[in-house]
Amino acid sequence: MTDDDVRLHILRELIARSAAPSVGDTASALGVPETDAAAAYDRLAASRVIVLEPGTRDVLMAAPLSAVPTPHIVRMADGRSHYGNCVWDALGVIAMLGRDGDVETVCMDCDARLTLTVRGGALAPTDAVVHFAVPAARWWENIVFT
Amino acid sequence: MLLFRSEEHVRRWCELRGLPRGTVFTPEQMWTVAKSWHGRRLERGWRRFTPAEAEGVFASAGLTGAFWSLQPPM
Repeated sequence: MTDDDVRLHILRELIARSAAPSVGDTASALGVPETDAAAAYDRLAASRVIVLEPGTRDVLMAAPLSAVPTPHIVRMADGRSHYGNCVWDALGVIAMLGRDGDVETVCMDCDARLTLTVRGGALAPTDAVVHFAVPAARWWENIVFT
Repeated sequence: MLLFRSEEHVRRWCELRGLPRGTVFTPEQMWTVAKSWHGRRLERGWRRFTPAEAEGVFASAGLTGAFWSLQPPM
């Protein structure tokens, strides 16, 4: 088992079940001792490939997917839906899956519903704008806020 | 990173919360970055970009300058 096996297992489970696998689930699926899977989770978190709930090994983020509900919903053409960590990650889910999809979110100022539509690899024109509050070099100071 | 109806909504949102305005760009630029950033995540052997690679991805979408710099300050 490599850390990449664990990373891919987490992503594939999030895509298939909209839930992140526990360390025990991953160990069983990959046929490895739970201690090995736990160590892989720790290494992936330390290298910022996944984000764990503080003080646990529960996956919070496996970019571009969120393991918990967010205001950034991805609705794929095949009927599946997913959560992105932010609107960028939500578009990233569509890019990662390589299929048509919509991102449904809201204007953070007025709560108006906003939809970004991707068809055939192209983003449909929109009047919306993106705001990034934190400079790139500081994203990991508080990745949940970013 | 959040989506707003317009720059006016960004201005109002920042003002109400006492937050400094960050940077504003288009969803098209974000889509360009998202494709490079996330498009290969399901490939075996994927790895995170180095800071220089990441800055190159930002630049490919026209996102340049101090806000997008990943180099440590001098």
